[in-house]
Amino acid sequence: MKVLSIIIKDFKTILSDKQAIILTMLMPIILMTILSLALKGSFIRSNSLEIERINIAVVKKYNENSDNIMFEKTLKKVMDITPDNVEINPDKIFFEDFLESKEVSKLLKYTVAEEKDALELLNKGEVAAVIVLPDKFLYNMKINLITPFRNNVDIKVLTHADKSMAGEIVTSVMEAYADSMSSVIIGKNVLIESVSANDLGQSGYDNMEEIMEGMSSLMKGISINIENTVVEGRESVTSSEYYAVAMMSMFILFAAGQGGRMLLEEKDNQTYQRMVIADISKTHILAGKFFTVFLIASVQILIMIAFSYFALKVKWKDFSSIFIISITSAFAVAGLGIFIGSLTYSMGNYKLANTFENVIIQIMALLGGSFFPLDLLPDVIQKLGFLSLNGVALKAFLKIILGYSIRDISKNILTLAITGTIFTILALIIFNKEESVDVKHNKITSVKA
Amino acid sequence: MLNVKNLYKNFGNITAVDGISFEVNKEEVFGLLGPNGAGKSTTISIISTLLKPTGGEVLFEGESIFSNPKFIRRKLGVVPQDIALYPTLTGYENLRFWGNLYGLRGHELKTRIDEVAEIIGLNGRLKDKVEKYSGGMKRRLNIGAALLHKPEFLIMDEPTVGIDPQSRSHILDTVLKLKDEGLTIIYTTHYMEEAENLCNRICIMDEGKIIASGTRQELVELVKEKTQISIKLDSVNESILNSLKNMPGVNDAKLDEDTINLYGENGDILLAEIIAKVSEHKRRIQSIDVKKPNLEAVFLHLTGKALRDV
Repeated sequence: MKVLSIIIKDFKTILSDKQAIILTMLMPIILMTILSLALKGSFIRSNSLEIERINIAVVKKYNENSDNIMFEKTLKKVMDITPDNVEINPDKIFFEDFLESKEVSKLLKYTVAEEKDALELLNKGEVAAVIVLPDKFLYNMKINLITPFRNNVDIKVLTHADKSMAGEIVTSVMEAYADSMSSVIIGKNVLIESVSANDLGQSGYDNMEEIMEGMSSLMKGISINIENTVVEGRESVTSSEYYAVAMMSMFILFAAGQGGRMLLEEKDNQTYQRMVIADISKTHILAGKFFTVFLIASVQILIMIAFSYFALKVKWKDFSSIFIISITSAFAVAGLGIFIGSLTYSMGNYKLANTFENVIIQIMALLGGSFFPLDLLPDVIQKLGFLSLNGVALKAFLKIILGYSIRDISKNILTLAITGTIFTILALIIFNKEESVDVKHNKITSVKA
Repeated sequence: MLNVKNLYKNFGNITAVDGISFEVNKEEVFGLLGPNGAGKSTTISIISTLLKPTGGEVLFEGESIFSNPKFIRRKLGVVPQDIALYPTLTGYENLRFWGNLYGLRGHELKTRIDEVAEIIGLNGRLKDKVEKYSGGMKRRLNIGAALLHKPEFLIMDEPTVGIDPQSRSHILDTVLKLKDEGLTIIYTTHYMEEAENLCNRICIMDEGKIIASGTRQELVELVKEKTQISIKLDSVNESILNSLKNMPGVNDAKLDEDTINLYGENGDILLAEIIAKVSEHKRRIQSIDVKKPNLEAVFLHLTGKALRDV
């Protein structure tokens, strides 16, 4: 009951602090709204962001030799042209001229793999997308590029649901490729029609390669079908969904920041001493602070989920799983809060609490993917993501949005629960230690509560 | 009720409390008088169970407060020198919180808050946030928070520091009321008038030591100078000066322009005789000022320094 009184008092105190309300409640709502709208559809402002190259795998389902032989036969049979006169190689165009071009290579880094291996890499998350060049790709592309005929080419882009933004980038790049190829075909058709109209015969095709090369920079529009298939039947997250989760998981850390100040503030106000005289044990005082931070974080999560659900139309899907992640996230944040609070109290100044709020939270936000999706950041940062509470919570929330089950996020939940427990135990040990702190009038060396 | 025995408290090389011993009897107001840094706050922090001493013992109703701090805490109320309240909460919310911590609930708590508000004179203002209170109101609420659980033993650490005379007077009245109700109080102050007016017994501290203790009268008797009577006449000559100087009970007489300063043992009796003697010499009295020895003089006498100058 005494713990409850402390919680109610602390919560009322925080509610009366307008600055704290703005920071913990209003700011994340504003930020998630702005970021959701600004990055709708792409998530990225590539001009201002140095992006880590996206790993992709390319599967060649065609056989180069058999495609070439087949094309030679077709060309001889249908158009009576010797292939030596038309040295156009779609394989080279795709890999060397396109994927290895200066612009595309800035974004994508490819490896050629067998289909089975490529899908395994995709499922492991080691590549963001797999591009499957279909059977007879070379043959069909040559037909499209050289003859008046047109064959369908289905290039598949398989993306991973967890790396949806990178997948979107790969898709966009492939669409650009498709557009370029289309313009080549148009150019080719114009050339063929001119040759036919002017009855130029074989000599009319002599310059075809040169013309094609010259036109490659002006390419536009071709109907190459791109199939964007996400693995495991999951949906990709939208910018609203991503940033609702990202801001929520970041801003609950500020509740821990507030908890970090509470104990020393009580001491500075002499209310801590008054509580000790009122025979409130240190464990009770710490429990009061723990549940206060837990309550603040829970209210933050509740408000942000409600706002994103109604205003940003975020589909949280499985609310029971969301509830479990929310509770464990708030638990971890509460543990962290009293840990910072105990250290701040034992140090007797606010340097640590300030550093936590101004520096550590920002680092955790970056490492955890609250600023940018992790798959766009360097591998080193991605690997450090486990160090951030918000990163663990963010992944868990996103997975539920993506359609994973509670079982799939059990590791995240366990991590949050264990982290919260460890921080709480450390806080109890530090806070219950004999103290040596200067207060206003007396240098207190020990308090038995 | 409280027995302090040979209490020491060191902070590194600094000795804040240097082997003090005193007793506080039930239903008395015991004053701890001394300048800032005398060791008063450290002493009461130890008695309040906030600090452990370097040495010595404190017994409350025969029970050691160090081995069983819960025993004294149940019966103790402490009014700290600082305002130990939550400024963004209302006065009522503050009292309710502290009442809750002492186990008060529901109707009992509400009734007690009303009673305390009456004692401290803040009824009608409890709905306001504490941050909007004047300094005096905050101090009164600070006292109220220590009274909610009806303590048997109250420690008040300089409760009138830095407030306006009206609020100070109200607080002193409150202490007198609590004294009349039979509460045992330790009252620390560096205002000698407060100690003189409120306390049954006074302990004067300086540099961590008790330099004198007893009732006001006992302390004043330590001062040799006794009462000073300054009498201003229309004219003064050697004859009247010698006549006054030779009066029984007058220890010394000095002339300062047209004012004669007389030093004696019992000012009240002397005064009538002095007036009669002046009449005999056909002189007119223009003014008389009687200065009785006070705790300020006691402190000056014992330490060689003024209480307020330290």
